[in-house]
Amino acid sequence: MLFNSHFFVFVFLPVALFVYFALGRLSRDWALRWIIVASLIFYAWWRPANVFIIVPAMLVNFTVAKLILYYGREEKPAATKLLLTLGIVFNLTVLGYFKYTNFFFTASNDLFGSSFVFKEIVLPLGISFITFQKIAFLMDVHGRKIDSFRFQDFFSFVLFFPQLIAGPIVHYREMMPQFHSVSCRFSQTDLSVGATLFFFGLFKKVVIADSLAPLVSSIYMMADSGQTVSLIPAWLAAVGFTFQIYFDFSGYSDMALGAARLFGIRLPVNFNSPLRTSNIIDFWLRWHVSLTRFLTAYVYNPIALRFTRKRMAAGKSGFGRNGASLGAFLQLLMLPTIVTMFLSGLWHGAGYLFILWGLMHGIYLTVNHAWRLFANRKWPKSERYEQIMRPLGFVITFVCVAASMVVFRSLSLDTAANILAGMAGMNGVEVPGGLYPLVSWLGSVFPASFIQPGLPNAAGMSELGLLLLLVAPIALFLPNTLQILDRFEPAIGVREAGEPNLLRFNVSWRPSLVWAVFVIAIAAAGTLNIGGYTEFLYWQF
Amino acid sequence: MTRQNILNTLTEILRNLLFDDSLELTDSTKRADVPDWDSFAYVNFIVAVEMHYNIKFSVAEVESFVTVGEIAARIEELAGL
Repeated sequence: MLFNSHFFVFVFLPVALFVYFALGRLSRDWALRWIIVASLIFYAWWRPANVFIIVPAMLVNFTVAKLILYYGREEKPAATKLLLTLGIVFNLTVLGYFKYTNFFFTASNDLFGSSFVFKEIVLPLGISFITFQKIAFLMDVHGRKIDSFRFQDFFSFVLFFPQLIAGPIVHYREMMPQFHSVSCRFSQTDLSVGATLFFFGLFKKVVIADSLAPLVSSIYMMADSGQTVSLIPAWLAAVGFTFQIYFDFSGYSDMALGAARLFGIRLPVNFNSPLRTSNIIDFWLRWHVSLTRFLTAYVYNPIALRFTRKRMAAGKSGFGRNGASLGAFLQLLMLPTIVTMFLSGLWHGAGYLFILWGLMHGIYLTVNHAWRLFANRKWPKSERYEQIMRPLGFVITFVCVAASMVVFRSLSLDTAANILAGMAGMNGVEVPGGLYPLVSWLGSVFPASFIQPGLPNAAGMSELGLLLLLVAPIALFLPNTLQILDRFEPAIGVREAGEPNLLRFNVSWRPSLVWAVFVIAIAAAGTLNIGGYTEFLYWQF
Repeated sequence: MTRQNILNTLTEILRNLLFDDSLELTDSTKRADVPDWDSFAYVNFIVAVEMHYNIKFSVAEVESFVTVGEIAARIEELAGL
């Protein structure tokens, strides 16, 4: 079931809530069991057969986790380690079968000339998210961060529908205390804060992202058809898709936070105005926060820790004032970073372009870290540094992100290369007819064919340009939902994340008539637009 | 060895890593509070701490530390201080 569907907003969510509160008056335990049942209905809606894939997989994980717990108490580290490994291998195998079989065939056919025939495999919804969450759970049980859990706890942790199919990827230790203490009773505050978050998210998704989507698509389709994309359309495609995916994912994350909050549960921050940043390291601390957290903890840290420990034990140079060598940089920084982002790319989608996207970010992050190491020594933080590097960093980061998004969105390498070349000016410049006389003199500076009058499909493009001028400031300057609602802790620990935005003002949500009218208007605009053109980008993972 | 000694050692290690003598770690300091204390500097910090006290943290622990106080408390446990 999609969050942005009439059935979810008008039937599923109200019924699920009503039964939850009604049962909550009788028994908390039954109200919490109802959440599990409702989540299974939510999950089964699109394709009931999926339930028969994820439930058995959960039972395996539950058993493995119980065994790890048991052998952990018996002080048998070898057994727990073996079980953990088996559990992770099992989860990755399930994910691998459903998500990567056909990609493996493609790659094998391309590389070795084999002739595998593709299988008809339907990807169970959200399996990438569910798999990561279960791996994190096993790691936590193994690391003794969880010392007891019940069958019901484990199921509500994995299945809780607001986070089930597209995150945030939550930790057991941040969810379970909430499930154990939530009142399951009607709460005016939770309901109004939850509804506000949900409808802000719905608006971002169906009004903003879905309006950008067809305009952006038409440029990508033009590129797909082999037509060269010149400077202006190329930038519109790159920037347009960046904001489309921004509002799509930001909207989804708000809806997830809101839906959970209706039930009195807070989810962790997943999205925190990532485009406002001035470096790519910080971008990843704000974009898909829960994924970054997962990959850092379970991919980057183990690799980096292992190499760093080895190197230090051998008495070789590390970082900081003890000196740093190129070898240390390559082995301790570049390698773990690239491997992590390679896997992130592969996780996002089974295709060459997703891997390329991941590698691009791996390189971006490596360059950013190299700069930090360099700047720390040669250019200590000062006001001057901030004055120069903040705006410059913002532009560099934005352009790098937008370029990577072209690769993320393109269906083929040719399309991506076409648009990236266009962005670099290699496909020439086409100027809208009305503006052409103003710049035609440039024709004498550049080769005559470089600047041409007239944009292809000009109407759609000026519409996209205007729309971007309208929505970009929302992403770049306005207070975000976490800031607007910060007094009500809209996400776990968000009070601490509060910081001034660029305009240094904040608007605080309060349960007042003015806000009610505003949220109702937003909700009306959102719900009335449900059912139009839609592509939920993060849904297919 | 007191908690303050540990905090002083941790502060010294991080100052050397980040080239910043003005920073001061307390029990309640979080990683996000210290500019540039990113995941890379964090791993280097953790390994330097492990070397100094001759201890080893687990991957789950490294992931779960939120405050410097939690790291210090775990050092006390592991090193038997």
